[in-house]
Amino acid sequence: MSARNKIRNLAIGLAALPLLGLAWSMDSAPVNAEAKAPQAAVPAADDRLRIVAMRRITEAQYRNAIADIFGPDIKVAGRFEPIVRPAHELIASGASDAAISPSGFEQFDAIARVISAQVFDEAHRGQFVPCAPTDAKGADPACAQQVLAPLGRYLFRRPLSAGEEAFFVKMAGDAAGPTGSFHKGLELALSAMLVSPRFLYVIETAEPDPVKPGELRLDNWSRASRLSFMLWNTTPNEALLKAAEQGKLTDQAQLSAVSQKMVDSPRFEQGVRAFFADMLLFEKFDELAKDPVIYPYFNQDVAQVMPEQMLRTISDHLLARNGDYRDLFTTQRTFMTRSLGALYKVPVTASKGWVPFEFAPSDDRAGLLGQAGFLAIYSHSGRSSPTLRGRAIREVLMCQPVPNPPGNVNFTAVQDTTNKAMPTARIRLTAHNTDPVCSGCHKITDPIGLTLERFDGIGRIRTLENDAPIDDSGSMDGTDFHGASGLGKALAGSPDTTSCVTSRVVEYATGRPAEEASLVEDLEKNFAAKGYGIRALFQRVASMPEAYRVPAEKMDTGATHVAALRR
Amino acid sequence: MKATSIGKNATIRIAALATTGAALLAIGPMSVAPAVSEATDRTLPKPPADGVMGFVISEFIPPVIQGKDACPQGTALKVKDSYLAGLSPEERARLSLKENEAELTKRWQADIFGPNDTNICSQPDMFSRPAMRTVQSPNAWGLDLDEGGDEGCAHEEFTSPAGEKGIDNQEYRVLGCTLEWRGVDGIQGDQATGTRQFFASGEWTQVILLRGVDSLENDDSVEVIYGNTPDRPMADSNGKFLPGASFTISDKPPRNRNVLHGRIVNGVLTTDPEDVVLTQTWGQGGARDIRGNRTKFDYRRARLRLTFQPDGSVKGYLGGYRPVFDVIQSPSIGGAGAALVAGIDCAAQLQTLRQVADGIKNPKTGKCEGVSGSMQVTAIPAFVNDVPAVRTAAK
Repeated sequence: MSARNKIRNLAIGLAALPLLGLAWSMDSAPVNAEAKAPQAAVPAADDRLRIVAMRRITEAQYRNAIADIFGPDIKVAGRFEPIVRPAHELIASGASDAAISPSGFEQFDAIARVISAQVFDEAHRGQFVPCAPTDAKGADPACAQQVLAPLGRYLFRRPLSAGEEAFFVKMAGDAAGPTGSFHKGLELALSAMLVSPRFLYVIETAEPDPVKPGELRLDNWSRASRLSFMLWNTTPNEALLKAAEQGKLTDQAQLSAVSQKMVDSPRFEQGVRAFFADMLLFEKFDELAKDPVIYPYFNQDVAQVMPEQMLRTISDHLLARNGDYRDLFTTQRTFMTRSLGALYKVPVTASKGWVPFEFAPSDDRAGLLGQAGFLAIYSHSGRSSPTLRGRAIREVLMCQPVPNPPGNVNFTAVQDTTNKAMPTARIRLTAHNTDPVCSGCHKITDPIGLTLERFDGIGRIRTLENDAPIDDSGSMDGTDFHGASGLGKALAGSPDTTSCVTSRVVEYATGRPAEEASLVEDLEKNFAAKGYGIRALFQRVASMPEAYRVPAEKMDTGATHVAALRR
Repeated sequence: MKATSIGKNATIRIAALATTGAALLAIGPMSVAPAVSEATDRTLPKPPADGVMGFVISEFIPPVIQGKDACPQGTALKVKDSYLAGLSPEERARLSLKENEAELTKRWQADIFGPNDTNICSQPDMFSRPAMRTVQSPNAWGLDLDEGGDEGCAHEEFTSPAGEKGIDNQEYRVLGCTLEWRGVDGIQGDQATGTRQFFASGEWTQVILLRGVDSLENDDSVEVIYGNTPDRPMADSNGKFLPGASFTISDKPPRNRNVLHGRIVNGVLTTDPEDVVLTQTWGQGGARDIRGNRTKFDYRRARLRLTFQPDGSVKGYLGGYRPVFDVIQSPSIGGAGAALVAGIDCAAQLQTLRQVADGIKNPKTGKCEGVSGSMQVTAIPAFVNDVPAVRTAAK
């Protein structure tokens, strides 16, 4: 084995240790650190803390965290194992149950090495190494400690325990010898931090709730992470960590003030974008494929800008204009690129980038539902789908789960789009729904989705299908209407729409579906009182004591003492 | 600006010569035209309420009439064949033998070079070459640029396959028998293929902006902005340009923003004679690439004649007089390579072009220094932003 390979293998082993340490047992420290860890450094109060949740950070959160901690010029290269979305829930809920497979961990390890190599290369190390090592070719524990302790605090979103600090310093020193480089040692220690579950997961810990004796509430550090990831989709910054350190985040008044500042910050846009990307199932764009013969206006560029158009519309309406959430389904303001302009058949002035655009009042392009992104992801690769669109509106925007079709359905009638005897989707679906097994669910979805039939499978406007005129009439919950604009108005007027987004924000914040109906109702009342402004809703959820209470069933499980983790 | 509008969305019967030609264009100049022209029924869409219409050029190719009438002796000879043709029958037979291929190659290739590293394409003026085969047929597509007269240099005129007389297209007369224009077995030549690539890449992409259009049938005054755009057209998976995309007329010099004035008669837009300059870069066109900066389409006393189509597109011609050297500038820039690899006899082409020059009369010499020519143009609907910007997207 070459020296280079030996070093590489050593590095792999070292990098994996912290993860293995946690994987083996949540209440035992890494083996190497345990022997020499100064036990007295663990505060006695930590013995009362319990791990109550672990949420894997998303790819966007990982990238944002690295950019925030190390700078945007540090490249994050690699494939991230996706977090599985539970049925009818958010990815944020899936993150609470997300494991990392061996191959997924290999990817995290590779990504970590690329990052740490950049951080300690000659161009960057000056920003992160405040001391000169006594021996540039060997270990210097004091200097390594000065480097790793602050980085660890940012990465783990709390100060390193003395045990952890000793562990990573020793790792850096152990690696400095064989590699002949102090900085290579730091590199390996940082790689290990980056594959630690303490970085890859937001570990939420709880403490006894002084207001409600016998119950638990999230501690300050967990609240800092909760606020930061919920509102800014990134790791806590120095101000938030300081606030946690000073115990401000368990003080209701100060928590409200901090959360208010955060929703007023421009960085809140990043959080709102992440929330809606989760709520609107934007992972579907990753696998969006259309038949290029049927849809010549669909190409890679269009696929990339479709979700961005929706997010720009959302953030412009809800944040820049402080708009009413309900108007998101009727607004005719959006943004265009050249490639989207051709799809929408509208002129675009700028050759590159985005330009604001407003559809004419007579145009049926109303709100998010009239945008190509929504219409394309809820269509098939070669045809539109009133059923998929109607189902998405029910499930995604109104939180009304629709049952899956039975396994033995005959789809022949709806799939035969070239049948001149059944030229439109409405006619085909009517034929399909003669089967009573199918008609039950189609009644829930199709009258909604058929109103969007004047948009084809990529959202391009049309008035005919197979030369037959398209009827865009439909209904929802007893209200009849036409087209996307009629549907948008119906959706904006439905109490289920605002109730749904309220419950989704609670779920997004806590990592579990909102189960307390009364809590959602109270929040919705407050949401309405604030003119259905998204800032107010997020601020309210971010600051309400209920969001930081630990559910009773979590407390019934065996305690895991955080103190052990921090040795 | 309305003149004699027949009525928007009306179905009109047009038996006029120009329109018949336009109807035939729908078939394409590659086809052999029918002997008797026919009237055409067609329904034209309404122009937009603001009278502004944009187009991106999807086809800009030399119009060639296929078939054996034009070049009964076959395509123009390549340099090698031209060299052989100049030999005695015995020597030609000897050199045509396989075992003498190396000698033949050495001799015809030596023939393209002159003293001091000159060659027939880089310095075509320095060489005297055998006459080349030219179009023998009396038919050609194009425009009547001199309106029955001449620009001061007598010349023979063509009749279009649709029956239009007085067609001026000396460029076609000279180059219409070259393999690069004519192609093989009915397949379009390299000129057409190459031009399509330049238009698809955004290097030569052209747009047309019409202002003041009240009717697609008759309108006595329409402003026509004809220019280049750096924007690449959107295309389907077969490379066919898609209508409805947005373009901005180039705001970087040379802007090539040609402002023309025209009128619509019976669904045909014709512009008044005006000089038109359009981009024609060869090579990569970068700032340090001399090839990319030295050429252009320079049409003098040019006019557009475009027929509105029911599908919203326009079809027709750009015609005008080009300086004779411009016509061969592509192979000339290619230099010895154009002669050695493509077998193009630039010197023979230049000599022949000069012999038939029918325009751009030099007042000092009294000689014509340009040839008439036409490009077949098809343009599809697009949104064209003029510069300075017309905020067409603002609503």
